[in-house]
Amino acid sequence: MVGQRRFGLFDILNAVILFAVACSTILPLVYITAVSLSDTASVTQGKVFLFPKGLNWDAYKQVLTDVKIPRAYLNTVMYTALGTFINVLMTCLAAYPLAQRGFIGRKYWMFLIVLTMFLNPGIIPNYLIVKDLGMLDSVWALVIPNAIWTFQLIILKSFFEGTSSSIREAAKVDGASEYRILFSLMIPLSKPALASIALFYFIGHWNSYFIPMIYLNTDSLYPLQVVLREMLVFSEDTGSRLVEAAALAPQAKKNATIVLAMIPVLMIYPFAQKYFAKGVMLGSEKG
Amino acid sequence: MLAKLGKRIVRDRQLLIIFIPCLVFYIVFRYGPLYGLIIAFKDYSVFRGIMDSPWVGFEYFEKFFNAPEFWQLFRNTFLLGFLTLVFSFPFPILLAVLLNEVRVAWFKKGVQTASYLPTFLSVVIISSMIIDFLSPTNGVVNKVLNMFGVESKYFLIDADWFRPIYILSEIWTNSGYESIVYLAAIAGISPTLYEAAKVDGASRFRMMFNVTLPSIMPTILIMLILKTGQMITIGYEKVLLLYNTMTYEVADVFSTFVYRKGLLANDYSYGAAVGLFEAFVAMALLLISNYVSKRLGGNGLW
Repeated sequence: MVGQRRFGLFDILNAVILFAVACSTILPLVYITAVSLSDTASVTQGKVFLFPKGLNWDAYKQVLTDVKIPRAYLNTVMYTALGTFINVLMTCLAAYPLAQRGFIGRKYWMFLIVLTMFLNPGIIPNYLIVKDLGMLDSVWALVIPNAIWTFQLIILKSFFEGTSSSIREAAKVDGASEYRILFSLMIPLSKPALASIALFYFIGHWNSYFIPMIYLNTDSLYPLQVVLREMLVFSEDTGSRLVEAAALAPQAKKNATIVLAMIPVLMIYPFAQKYFAKGVMLGSEKG
Repeated sequence: MLAKLGKRIVRDRQLLIIFIPCLVFYIVFRYGPLYGLIIAFKDYSVFRGIMDSPWVGFEYFEKFFNAPEFWQLFRNTFLLGFLTLVFSFPFPILLAVLLNEVRVAWFKKGVQTASYLPTFLSVVIISSMIIDFLSPTNGVVNKVLNMFGVESKYFLIDADWFRPIYILSEIWTNSGYESIVYLAAIAGISPTLYEAAKVDGASRFRMMFNVTLPSIMPTILIMLILKTGQMITIGYEKVLLLYNTMTYEVADVFSTFVYRKGLLANDYSYGAAVGLFEAFVAMALLLISNYVSKRLGGNGLW
């Protein structure tokens, strides 16, 4: 349907609508950023909209010298790094045997694994397992119980299946063990696929708040999202009294924390777009 | 038979060793909790453990069905799920169809990138933006209302506003990402259909309704079954952040109730029973929507 006409009314209307859609997702973030860079007076008087008024970095200085936030940021970085590493490793270890046509019991394993996507025991039984294993209040509670997302496993398995089996056969003839084939051949060959699953795991860890909230009890272990929640959202746990947290923390500092929390995700996700389609097509359920 | 099996095990021994971590993971963390569900039928105590706690049959289920909150939870869960489905379902389709009409590549790419953005933000950030923008003291929304002479309103403690706020935020968060499926379906439409329509003198607007939409109907139907099946799986992480005692009457759903009773109040058996009931209803919904779709001559999920 390449342009046999010039741009008509239809195109203009369409462009206006889509431009509005793009604005609706971007402008809130621009606003948050603008507030984080403005002085308190301008914020409370409601003068800030898309550009900072009274430009300054005070809010960011406050965040960096805060008692909780830098610690929480570091925690998030560590949990995300460790968690993503374990995720990718475990998903590789699971996907490789399942991708071999003759692997013993392959069909049954796959059935049992896919079945778990439809069975959801709920919050409580998951919590009790973690508790019984003594993982409460430790990093392990965040990185082990969700070490494999079934959905990502299926994606990687189909990718492994797609790579040429002749390379593998040749390596076998040369006497390479399966471990060697997996770590020295398959993993280096699958970098793009691994990057895409790593990305989803990364964002999953970076953004998670519910799991750390229920599994961690020690303040110093909290990741950024949990601290953010404390700063931003109604403090429901302190009683039925409605306290709007907005009144407790200065607006600019809150927004500066949000901006810092968003930066890694905003930097990464545009590069992952080409992988989205494949991911969504396979059914969009995390295991 | 056994000898043959033994031979295969020996042959695949290296693969099996590689597979062990995965196997252990699924047994402990995916099937383990299913076993743990039996505490829904027991009077679980932390000291006795799952095995030794005494059986109580359906006591906790009866307690739940007779609880004053039961019908409220039931209604809230279904209404919130249903209304979210009805109102948010068309948006990704619309977005995909409109994007498909864009003939300037960079503009299309730009809008797409922007529309995916909210999917990658955390629930905490999204919720805090909602709370911020709707704040009665210095929220943007109330500032704009003030300009038109309307008085500030505390939206988040008003039960009438909870559902619209939740649904709108779901639309904002998911429409871009979900449009990918439909864009992929549109990309698969044969260009000859458009050429034929053009020869017949159809306008681009007509083509949207008479070529594009009918061609992606199978995808739309599949997505509808999937969404109907997941209808009552409410995004409780967001509800937990947005609700409060003033809005419980509309916002409290099964999963938030499980969290409060089971984890905050440590009534594990009760929480597990309610969770099991919810899972049961969700499974029934999925099976029904799949069945109905097949009976109507459409594709099922399986």
